[in-house]
Formats: sequence, structure tokens, C-alpha cells
Amino acid sequence: MSDIASFNERQLDAIKEVGNIGTGNAATALSGLLSRMIHMDVPETELVSIYELAEHYGDPMQIVGAVFVRSLGGFQCSLIFIQKEEDANLMVELLLKQQFGTFIPVNEIPQEMTDSALTEVGNIVLSSFLNAINILLGTRHQISVPGVAHDMLSSILDVVASIYGQMGETALLVNTELSAEGLEGGRKISGHIILIPDPDSLELLLRKLKVL
Amino acid sequence: MAENTIVLGMADLMVIRAPVKLVTLGLGSCIGLVVYDSTARVAGMAHIMLPSSRGLMGSEKIGKFADTAVPALIDAMEKQGAVKSRIKAKIAGGAQMFALPGMSADFLTVGAKNVSETKKRLALLRIALIASDTGGNKGRTIEFSTSNWMLKVKTLGKGVSEI
Repeated sequence: MSDIASFNERQLDAIKEVGNIGTGNAATALSGLLSRMIHMDVPETELVSIYELAEHYGDPMQIVGAVFVRSLGGFQCSLIFIQKEEDANLMVELLLKQQFGTFIPVNEIPQEMTDSALTEVGNIVLSSFLNAINILLGTRHQISVPGVAHDMLSSILDVVASIYGQMGETALLVNTELSAEGLEGGRKISGHIILIPDPDSLELLLRKLKVL
Repeated sequence: MAENTIVLGMADLMVIRAPVKLVTLGLGSCIGLVVYDSTARVAGMAHIMLPSSRGLMGSEKIGKFADTAVPALIDAMEKQGAVKSRIKAKIAGGAQMFALPGMSADFLTVGAKNVSETKKRLALLRIALIASDTGGNKGRTIEFSTSNWMLKVKTLGKGVSEI
């Protein structure tokens, strides 16, 4: 296991590039789903204290919708697609409107359908991300069935603390924001993709990127 | 007398004299452990993240692991004048936020392990666990008040319960 704190600038940049390639593909997929232009931020490799994960990403009590997948194979990691609840709702409305041609407000949509739409979007976005990075790394992967949750940001991010907590106090994460602007009423939908490499996969990642 | 409200963050551990309100926000797989001695009027809380330190103890916060947090919390209670045989415990948390059918990974079920390890450590010290609200797949916000020694548990979509 590599010591995260000892990673140099070049290594962190290389990991960021993985995020860049993954996000590019994820943005294309999301754009196709929503039939909108998707804006993507430059990903960041972040070293975050496991005690302050929620504060790092926003208000710990903020209600969010999150889709989680796990990837096994060469480069083992987990991914979360996370959105503020209102953004997730807006996205579901947009998606269903496209699908059925009529607008249905989210509070009239059964929870199971909202969840299933959200899960499907998350799954497509995260699978696209994973496909791109595995092509880049020349690794094979299998992806889990997605899990979905609506809850406080702080509770959701406990999963990251559980992954990194056993071996230290810092998590290495790659974070990107995707957004679709210019919706009716000037509204905007955004979401974060957070890549959570397994701590013991980091060495392989650096080696594959030829920075170790 | 007005109660001070103290909010504990991840892996925090604290013992304090009444009157006080101890709060932890957004527990997912983590555990909120409350202990109190209503006669000595002392209360404590720990925000436990993982079951076992596996002997690893560097700069880590003592409240991070169940196996280190429980003895440390009871020890701190006794230093504040609590009597071990009178100490009562309540726990909340230990949810599994994401279920991935067909996938087993240690970190996904860490909530259940947190619950069982915390219970085990309390039993080893012969501390009476008198109430718990654990498991499930929803996060919890908890609030313990020394005015009635009750633990309020708020769960999204399920409202508030007192244990």
C-alpha cells in the first residue's frame, strides 16, 4: 500500500488525468440521456480528511440523491454520482418528460420510479466513466449492480470513511462536477462524480500511469 | 439551567457534566454511543466510525474505533465521578447506506459490524445497554439531553423517536 501523503505533484496530476478521461465519457453519456449540452469542470485529485468528508463537499445535513457502484478487476474502485435532492428531482422530471412527452412533477411520481430513473442515470454515467478509464489503463473490469440512497450528505459519505478509515486518516478522491444549464426558468442541474480508488489499488494505478 | 449544546464530529469522544445536550449529525454506518450516570449527573458520547483498530494506533482519534472508544469513554466517565455499575448506555446508527446485490465488501456492511463490536465492548465492561436504534438503510441525527436522559433519533422520512 502506497502512503497517500507521500504522493508527489506529478502522481496526483496523473490521477487527475484519469478523472478527466472518465468524466469526458460520462459527460457524453449524460448529454445523450438528457439531450442537453453538459458542462464539465476540470477534475481535482483531492486528499481529504476522513473526519471532514461531508464538510468538504457541502453542508453535512444537505439531503442528496446518490448512486453508488463498485468496480472489480484490474483497478478496483468505487464511484458515487451525487446530487442535491432538488437537482436529482429536476433531472428525473426532465428524463421522464423526454420519455413520455408530458411533464409530471416529481412529487406525483412514485418513489420507486424516481429511484429507478436515478439509478439508471447514475449507472450509465458511472459505467461510462469506468469504461473510459479501464481502456486508458488497459485493465478489465466488472461493475456491480448500482445501489441508490437519498439521505444526509454526511450519512452517505460514511461509505468513503469506511473505505479509507482502516488504513489512515486521509482519503484520496477524484472529484468532478457535471452540469446542464439553461433549463426552463434558468434552472441548472448539477451532479458530482467522486472516484474512490481502493487504497490498495493506488499502486497499480500509478504504475499503469507510468508515474511510479 | 440552560443546556449547552455540543456537536460531536466524526470520531469525537466527550464526557461532560449535566446540564448538556450532546448532538451528532448524519450518522450513516457510524455509531452514536451515549453513556450516562444520572446520579452523578455525568454524560458522554462517542461518534464511532469503525469496529476495530486492529492494533493500529498512531495519531488516530480514540473515538474512531469501537474497541478503543468504548473503554476510553467509560474511563473518562469514571474520572468525572460516574460509577461504573450505574452507567447506562444507548446506541444509534450502524445503517447500511448502499446495498449492492451480489456484491460483498467489508466496507458495505461495516454498520452492522460497528453495532456488534460496540455491544460486545459494552458487555465486556458490564455496562448496561438499555436502548438502541440501529441498522436499516437510513441515516440518523441524534440528540441526547441530560434534562430527561433521553436520546432523540431523527430519521429522514420516519420522523423523530425517543429512546
